[in-house]
This record gives sequence, C-alpha cells and structure tokens, in this order.
Amino acid sequence: MRYQQRIGRLSVPGRKVQLATAAMLLVATTMVACGDGQDDGGQASAPKAPATIPELTNDPLTLSFIWFDWPPAQALEAFANAEYKKERPNATIKVNTVPNANWHDAMFTQFAARKTDFDIAILDSQHIGEAVTNGNILDITDFVKSNIDVAAYNPYLLAAYGQFPQAETGKRDENASLYGLPLLGDTWTMIYRKDLIGDQPPQTWDEMISVAEKCQADHPGVSGLAFHQANGSDAAAVTYNTVNGVYGGNLWDPKTRKIEGVLNDAAGQEAMDVLVNRMKPLTATGSGNWFIDEVNAAVAQGKACIAFNWIAASGGLLDPKQSTLGSTREQILDKLGFATLPSQKTNLVPLGGMGMHVSAYSPEANQVEALNFMKWFQRADIQKKWAAAGGVPSRTDALQSPEFLNAGPFNQVYADSVPRMRDMWNVPEYARLVDIENTNVNAALNGAKAPKDALDDIAKEQQAVLDSSSRRGGGGL
Amino acid sequence: MTPPAPGRSRRLSDRWLAVAFISPALLLLLAMSVFPLLWALYLSFTDYSATRGGPARSVGFGNYTAILTSAQVHQRALTTLVYVVGAVTLQTVLGFGIAYLISRRTHGRGVLTTLFLVPMMLSPVVVGLFWRFMLDAQFGVINSMLGSLGLGPVEWLTRQRTALISLIVVDTWQWTPFIMLIALAGLTAVPKYLYEAASIDRASEWFRFRTITLPLVWPLLLIAVLFRAIEAFRLFDLVYILTNGGPGVSTETLSFHVYKVAFLGFNTGTASAYGILMVLVVIVLTQLYLRYLNKLKEG
Repeated sequence: MRYQQRIGRLSVPGRKVQLATAAMLLVATTMVACGDGQDDGGQASAPKAPATIPELTNDPLTLSFIWFDWPPAQALEAFANAEYKKERPNATIKVNTVPNANWHDAMFTQFAARKTDFDIAILDSQHIGEAVTNGNILDITDFVKSNIDVAAYNPYLLAAYGQFPQAETGKRDENASLYGLPLLGDTWTMIYRKDLIGDQPPQTWDEMISVAEKCQADHPGVSGLAFHQANGSDAAAVTYNTVNGVYGGNLWDPKTRKIEGVLNDAAGQEAMDVLVNRMKPLTATGSGNWFIDEVNAAVAQGKACIAFNWIAASGGLLDPKQSTLGSTREQILDKLGFATLPSQKTNLVPLGGMGMHVSAYSPEANQVEALNFMKWFQRADIQKKWAAAGGVPSRTDALQSPEFLNAGPFNQVYADSVPRMRDMWNVPEYARLVDIENTNVNAALNGAKAPKDALDDIAKEQQAVLDSSSRRGGGGL
Repeated sequence: MTPPAPGRSRRLSDRWLAVAFISPALLLLLAMSVFPLLWALYLSFTDYSATRGGPARSVGFGNYTAILTSAQVHQRALTTLVYVVGAVTLQTVLGFGIAYLISRRTHGRGVLTTLFLVPMMLSPVVVGLFWRFMLDAQFGVINSMLGSLGLGPVEWLTRQRTALISLIVVDTWQWTPFIMLIALAGLTAVPKYLYEAASIDRASEWFRFRTITLPLVWPLLLIAVLFRAIEAFRLFDLVYILTNGGPGVSTETLSFHVYKVAFLGFNTGTASAYGILMVLVVIVLTQLYLRYLNKLKEG
C-alpha cells in the first residue's frame, strides 16, 4: 500500500508541472498575440573604427578570417603568414573556410549571435548592406581617410567592396561611408579552346554562340559551352545577370527600388531567351547543376569549346596534374586561351571578388590588429607581392604591374575588365533576392519553367521582397 | 535492535532521491527542448529577426495566416507529401520483403542482417555526396551502366521528375534497413507453433502469410512506418546535398524551405511559426495514427 501511495504522491507534481506548462504556454501565446512585444535593443548601426590605429599588442595574437573554401583562401593564409609576420612576428593569420554554399550562413549566424570566431569577415560586395544595417561590421570611413590612398584605386573597385549605400555602376560616392577594403578582385573570363576554334576569341555574344555551335557540331563529345547553372550560391543568377547586362538589360532601378518592369523589360526577356534557348542547348547533358568546379572540370577534361568562369578560380586549369589537355603548363596554354567577355549591346561584365570587413564583435586588440593588417595589405609593395602570389589586387598600380600581368594568362583579362564591371544589388535583402533569381533561372535552364514565366516570377517575387518592409507577418516566405 | 526510521522522513528521503535522479535529465530537457520550443512559440507571434536585432514587434497571428495561405508553402507541402508517401511506401514494401526473406533463412542470417544495416549507419551527408557522384549525368556510374545497356543518359538530378524520384531512391537505399530491422524483430517473434499448426492443416504458404505472419507483424511494422514518416517529413540533409531543392524549387521540402526563411532572410519570427506548424502537423498525425494502432491492438 505504501508503494502505491508513494507513486500517487510523486505523480501529483507531474500533473502540476503539466498544468503550469500549459498555463505558461497559454499566457505567453495570449500576451504575445495580443500585446506589443518587448524591445530587446535599439536599431543597430555599424560602430565606428578609430581614424588612427591605436597601440598594437605585443602578445601572441591570431587574426582570424572567414571565407569559403577555394584556392585564394589558401593563398591568402600562406601569403599573409609569410609576409605580415615579417612586420608583426607575434601575429598569426588563420583563414577559416566553409563550403561556398554555407558562406553567408556561417558569417551571419555568428553575427546574429553577436559573437564571432573571426576578426575579419571576407564579404561578397552584396553582403555589405545586410552587415551594415545590422551593425555587424565596423564603419571604417575615418580610418580610410587617414590611412589609405584612395586615389590609387579605380573608384568603383573601392566602392564595390566597401561603400554602403551602393554606388552607381562605375562610380564612387565620396560622401558615402566605407565599411571594407578590397581583398580580391575578380570577374568572369571566357576560356576558349584555341586548338578547336582558333586563336582569335569571338568578339560579340552572338558570334560566340555561333562559334560554340559550330565547334560542338564539328567535335562530337565536346559541348559548345560550359557555364554556371546551379541553384546554389549565386551561380545561375550571375549567369543570367551577365547575359542581361550584355544585352542591355538592367537588374533594377536603384533610385526607385523598382524591379518589376525593369528586369523583365524587352532587353531582359531577350537575355533570358538567349540564355535558355540559344546557350543552354550548347551545354553538356545534366550540366544544370554546374558551378565553378564542374565548369573547370569540363575544361580540364577537354569537354567544352568555350567556358565562362571566375578568374580567381581558374588557376587550376593550368595544372597538368588536373588536366588532360597537356603534360606541361605550356602545352595546356597552347590549347587554352583566356579573353574578356564578348560584348553585344553593351560590354558589361560581372563584378566578382570580395573585401575585408572588421567584425564588430571581435576583441578590441584583434580589431586593432585587423585595421593594421588592412592598412598593410593596401600598401603598393604588398599589393604587388599579393599579385605575384596569385592574388588579384585592386590598386591600379598593382594591376598594371608586371608582377600581376605576368603571374597568370588571365590577369590581363582582369585588368581590361575593370572599367566594364557591373555589380548586383547591395541591399540588406540581397540573400533573398539572389535566391529568387537563382532558383528561377535554374528552373528555366532545366525545363521546369518557361523562360518568360521564370523572368516574370523573378521580377514579381523580388519586388515583393523589396516592398515587404511594411508587411505584418509572413516576412521571408 | 535498532528501531526502523520514522516513515515520514524515509518518504522524504525517497522523494529527494527521486528528484535528484530525475532533475539532471529534466533540466537538460527544459534547457534544450522545452525552453527553445516556448521561445520559438513566442517568436512565432512577432516579426523578430535574429540578425536585425531590433524590437520584436507583435504581429498577432500574421505569420501563421501568411504561412497557411502561401502558395509557396502549399507547393513545398505537396512536394513533401509526395516524397513522404513515395519513400515510406517503397521502404515498407522493400524492408518487409527483405526481412521476410531473411527470416526464412537458417544460415547466414546474422551476416546478411548486418550487411543490410550498413547504409543506415552512414551519415546522410556522406550518402548524399556519393549518390550525387553516382547519379551525375556526365560521369556517374548509373548512367555508365545504362550506357552499357544501350540506353541514353538520364539527367537524374536536374530534371523535375527524376530529381524527386532520385531523392526517394536514395532515402529508400538508406532507410529500408530500418524497416527491415523492425519487421525482422516482429517476424522472429511470431510463435512457431502457429506455423506448425497451419502446416498440419495443410495451409498454403500464402494463407499462412496472410493469416499468421502479416497480422502479427503489422502493428510493429506500423510503428516503424510512423518513425520513418516523421523522419521523412523533416527531410533536409539529402535535399541540401543532392539537389539543393532544384531544379528550381521542385524538390524543396518544408524543412528546406524553413531553413531558407530562417537563414537567408533571417526572418526568425516567420521561421518559428513555420516550425511550430510543422511540429503541430506531426503531433496531430501521430495522435491519429496511434489511436488507429491502439484500435488495431484492441481488435
């Protein structure tokens, strides 16, 4: 009997706990559903970095970066540890990498936690708006004024990797704030098979398609084109944006924040038609999920006549161990040519690359070291050394230096492309805008949506995202 | 002789002991499960964003109505439903079939069972990656085999229909062993004398299966189906690795969509409501299922 009684007693608090939990749930639900929520802090804004670099620590210090996993990340770590240590022996550089698809999440989930395990975030140019609006990175406007020779750069490069609000294409607003400095410049290069289509690269987009068509017909087993089509990262979106630019289209009107009617105007429709109906048929079967690595693999295996890829990711194409095109770098270069993108109605090319941005949540000593590193990195002699180490600098003198131009066959392509660059939208809603574009372009490329429907859906959905700030509930769907 | 301890203090001591034993697990449960759930419930009524960090303004049931009326969500729900029904049905048929065949063997049953269990022990990310290579249209082993049979290449992961089928096939490859294991336990537990009696009555193989094996294993099998259905409903990893939701959004499941809402736009309030609704769906369906199971047992 005692046993039963004991069980009975013990079961009472269980019921109480159940009741209390249910009551808590009910109260919480009712309070939140009916009343105003609690403010957990004011609207964030980017904290300011000092104009002059405070005293640096002499204690051992690890300066951590976050980037995605690709050759430039390894090159940066090796270069910085070899060169920066000469001036700051107590500092060790660590470049933490994540898969490309997790890059945005890896940085912004840490920003959301208001605690980062990195001191310098290597942000895509389009991430700046989100980070600035949320107060995640330092405002370095005063620091740049006091420490960086801004006249040494193409103004648009300085703006693209640091300015917010976004600059007009090709310009920099000198009154706007800066939140980062260039780390790695980049754009697309056209990679073509000299042994299959001749030494001269096609000059117009239409000519490029014709040449690819003929090459594919003449060489069974080799596809005419290879380009990014995947629905992850910004793969398919950059491809469409590139064709859109070349055919005279616009992604949006930044002044009125209008996308619908701008993106899907006649030029935009023509670009989508060219991409889906003229370019896609020249690609390999099943290439609808290709990104950087897959395009490089197709080129290295001799399976594509013409390909498009980011310059910073093209170095491996010259490695005989990874290529079937030759047993030496010279043999490979006999077959592969690198050129700027063909033009059509305009000569625009996509702006790639990333800048360095100091985490607002990094310890003060590390923030100071980060600023010192950025100042050091932008020195003319260091930019040339970075170029020689395989990096793509942003200072004009480094871009025109023999160290850079002789370091790779595609570096001249980058130098020639700088005045032609156009970026996407640098707004806090970037991650959603690019996902909408990626998934719809990918759907059109893989036959899941008609090209016109896909473009109209992109315009409509992206416009809804830009207009959704006043909506109550359901944001993000 | 020492008198026994007074009853009251002993009861207290027992209670304290019970509390001491239970409290670590209870605290862990409260911290890791109950509190996040309550917090998510609170956030689900706000427009809170984890990155923006501003005030969490109440939006009432705005997030819930937006989710329930969203065409985007309906599309993902349909994809998830097709996936769950396809994958779980296939796994149940195959899993039970394999278990039935294994149960009839007298030699090598242990080795066979262990071999069949290997896929289940692998990480879904690893499974996703090697299937991604195997299903590659250009250099994948599946298309290579089809080619040797004179068949053309199939775009397994980049076409609308084949992509979802591929997901179902890969999930089936990995999780059929789970159903098999449960079914095997059920089959082993069927009393032998029932079969012996049926043999004496010269009952056919099919009759024995239909009237002895299936009815006795069925309740256990349904529990396995329940576990698998809940798991399949929450599918994220295989989609992320194999198709990333593509082509377009045609293989985006509800969980994958929640991930995008939560981490692409950091719409934490909406994502919380989305998650709560998914939990509710699982709870309601599980309750209905368990009632059916109880009725079955009573019957």
